[in-house]
Formats: sequence, C-alpha cells, structure tokens
Amino acid sequence: MSDVLPTVELVADGTTAFPAGPRVVRFADGHAADDGRLVRAAREGDRAAFSSLYERYARVVHGLLLARVGRDNVEDLVQDVFLTAWRRLDDLRDPAAFGGWIVMITRNRAMDFHRRTAEFVELPENLPVPGGAAERADAHAALEAIRALPEAYRETLMLRLVEGLSGPEIATRTGLTPASVRVNLHRGMKLLREKLQR
Amino acid sequence: MSDDLSRDDYLWTAAGEPDPEIARLEALLAPYAHRGTLPPLPARAPRRRALHVVLPIVTAAASLALVIAAAWFTSTARPPGSWSVQSLAGAPAVAGSPIAGPSRLAVGQALTTDAQSRARIAVGEIGRVDVEPNSRVRLIRSRPGEHRMALDRGRIAAQIWAPPRYFFVTTPSATAIDLGCAYTLDVDAAGAGMIRVTHGWVAFEYEGRESFIPQGAVCATRPGFGPGTPRFADAPARLERALPVLDFSALADPRRAAALADLLASARARDALTLWHLLSRGTPEERAKVYDRLVTLVPPPASASREAVLRADRRALDDWWNELGLDSASWWRVWKSPWRE
Repeated sequence: MSDVLPTVELVADGTTAFPAGPRVVRFADGHAADDGRLVRAAREGDRAAFSSLYERYARVVHGLLLARVGRDNVEDLVQDVFLTAWRRLDDLRDPAAFGGWIVMITRNRAMDFHRRTAEFVELPENLPVPGGAAERADAHAALEAIRALPEAYRETLMLRLVEGLSGPEIATRTGLTPASVRVNLHRGMKLLREKLQR
Repeated sequence: MSDDLSRDDYLWTAAGEPDPEIARLEALLAPYAHRGTLPPLPARAPRRRALHVVLPIVTAAASLALVIAAAWFTSTARPPGSWSVQSLAGAPAVAGSPIAGPSRLAVGQALTTDAQSRARIAVGEIGRVDVEPNSRVRLIRSRPGEHRMALDRGRIAAQIWAPPRYFFVTTPSATAIDLGCAYTLDVDAAGAGMIRVTHGWVAFEYEGRESFIPQGAVCATRPGFGPGTPRFADAPARLERALPVLDFSALADPRRAAALADLLASARARDALTLWHLLSRGTPEERAKVYDRLVTLVPPPASASREAVLRADRRALDDWWNELGLDSASWWRVWKSPWRE
C-alpha cells in the first residue's frame, strides 16, 4: 500500500470500517478566508456575495444530495439548503467555516427529507438524459451502482463522476484530507467497476 | 494497491490522459450534474448600521412588534419559548397535570412519563424528542439558535435536523451537544447515562472532559467522572468490559492495568476511535501503552510524534485523528468552541 494512504479497514461486505459521518471542513487557508469575506458581505445583504458562495458550493451540495435522495427531489433540496443558509448566516460563528457548515446543513436536510418521506424515492427511469434508450439505461444503472456503494465512496464518486470535481477540489470543498479522498476514489472506483461488470 | 493507483491519475486529477472507462462514465453521468441557479433570495436586513440611523426605525418596529406579539400570544395562549407536546401512549404529565391531547411544555416545566406513557416533543422547528416510559425531562431554554433540555432520568430518543450546536441535553453527569444527529440517551436513578448515536455525531462534555461519538458508537457517563470513552457498539466484549474500569475508577485502582491490557489486546483497527480518546486520559504510563498500540492500528502522521502525543499536543492529536477515517478534527473544533471558550 502506498505510504500516502491512511489505513482504512474494509470489512467483508465492502463497507468501510468507520461509519461515514459528517465529514467536513478543513479548507486551504486562502479558500476559507475568501469564504469568510463573502459570508460577511452576504450578512450585510450582499446577494452577489452569496451568489459567489453558491457558485463555489452548489455542485458539492447537489452531489451530496444526489448520493442520498431521489434525483427528482435534488434540485428543490439544493434550493432549500441555500435558502436555509441565507436565512441563518448570522448563526454561523466562524464565517470561514461556511463550507463545513453548508455540508452539514445538506446532510441534515437529506436526513430530514427521509424522515418526512419515510422511504427512499427511487430514481425514475424516464429522466431527461440525452441519448438513446440503451444509453439512458446505462446511465441509470451507473448512477444506481454508485448509490449502492458505501457512503464515503458514494459521495466522493458522485462529486467526481457526476459533478466533475477533481480529487483536490473535492478535498478542498468538503474538508476531507486529500489522502482520504484519493483512497475513497480509488476504492470506490474499484467497487464500482466490479458492480458494473456483473 | 499502489500498482492500481498509477491507473487512477485521471480519476484523481480529472486531467491528462483519460481512463477510457472513467471517461465513459463521466459522459454518461454528466447530464445528472448540477444545472440549477440560485433561487431569488428574500430580503435580508443589514446586520449593523449606525445607531442614530436605525434607532428610530428600530424603536417604531419594536413597538409594533410588541403589539403584534402581545396580540398573537394572547390569541394563541402559547407560552413563549415553549415546546409542543403530544401523548404517544398513556397519560404523560406536564407540570404534574396529565395530558391527553396536544399540550405545551414551558421553560422551567417538567414532563414526566410513567411506566405506561410516552410523549413526543417538537423541539421548535429543529427536531423532535420522544420521551420514553419512566422518564422526566425539563425544558431549560428555547430560543433561536439554542434549545436546551434536561434529562433527569429515563430515556429519550432525539432526532435533530438543525445545524450543529442548536440542541443540548443536560444530564446529571454530562451534556450532550447535538452535531446533527439522531440518538438515544438513557439516565438511570443514580444519574449515570449512556448515549447511543444512530446518525451523525454527538459531543458529550462535562467540565472540560469531552467525547466525540459517531453513528454506530456508544458512550457512558457517570456522576463525578463525566463522559467516558466512546466505543463502537460492536466492539469486542473484552474491550467493552474493560472500558468502564478505565473510565470510572481512580487512577490508583489496581484493576486498571489488567483492564488496559485486555482492551489493547482486543482492539481492532475500527476501535481506533476508542484508543484515540484514551491518548489524553489516564496516567502517563497508560497513555504510552495506548500510543504504542494505536501506532500498530493506524499509523500516525509525521506531526504526531510519540513525544507530542504524550504531552497532549492538540495539533498532534488532531492530525492523528484525521487519519482515523472518521472526519477532519477541524469541524468539531469549529463547532465546540461556543460551549468551551
């Protein structure tokens, strides 16, 4: 095993040894400082500043939600998350911690969604995905295969393969260490390949 | 694995020579990516303005708000800062009076259940708490940004969907701080408690001693000691038996050496959660043994030298924590500061 990789025990069923929790938050210093500046401006009512925060984090929020709830609800929930953040900006004690804070809101919003709907909303097969029927079926199968992975892999792969973030970008925006992201991508991709080959 | 990692350069960088399979998946999945736009934002009052500019406006608004609030509270007869309560079974009592239908629990009031009764509390808009039989809870505070209750005895099941640090449960031996989670909390007649986290994270804190408990883990607490060390619910039986000895005995207790040896011998990589907490507890000799065992389970980063960890250097401990695969330490450092500092 490469020495840059932390030890993460895998158990027999392929789930991580440690449960996935609210993984949030260590940003590069400059990134966090920019977030802090934008949050302070947004608190004063600056919509453009909040729009910049949206640009930075919308894909992360979207990817995390897509890993947890049915796709037909994701866009609405993304809007909910950002409206909640806008309303509650004054509650954020450390403006530089915006990234971790909105990731936490996102996960809680997904949990709340499940609490209210009681059951997982399955992905409809008639999604507006371009291409022919075979391509749509492949896309659907790939998305479902990712969703069937353990949470840590599911979220990271969703951000990489669906939202198009690179590994370093995922680490910066979610607060995971780069080594953890790399492990999650590598092991998640390995599991995904196995699932798709069955 | 390292041989495979070289194939994953494209997976990691999203640039350079594409891996054909990954590129195919990207193309297939790209239509699912975020395409939305920021919704219209409601007006947001500026937070700070020169006092002389806003004072007349604030005064007028406050007067109007008082009138409206008085009318509203009068019309609803709802005590300010109260929580709604409903009976789930039997006849729970609020302030000593049995309730049958929807009721309110005001600040300072107690809700009690007997052996046949259960109740559900709506914690403002941030979550709910089910109060199980033979329990007594009190509402201590309820205001925007802080909801605090006490569990004197019995069991509650809490589900909170607010951001972290909005919801606190005080017990006789520790305070549970919600970090976005669902959990059950038991307190017995002697004030000893046990928390079981089913989703997210909970922090357990008492007079500077703190434990961070992820989903799937449990943590006990005792009067006079505060929170014990968290462990995963599926921890080996030997570890489970040893932990209370280490957590709730005097440092000179002769049982500790055998308990620690048992715990360390039975610990799995997954039990790094437990060992990490023990790095800053117990005697220096005990902590050194914990260090030596944890090194074999989760290699520490360079910054977490033996010397730094054994003198409880926070950065060293945090850096090692970050290798456990649980979470970055920085996020709970962010959230904990309001109740510690």
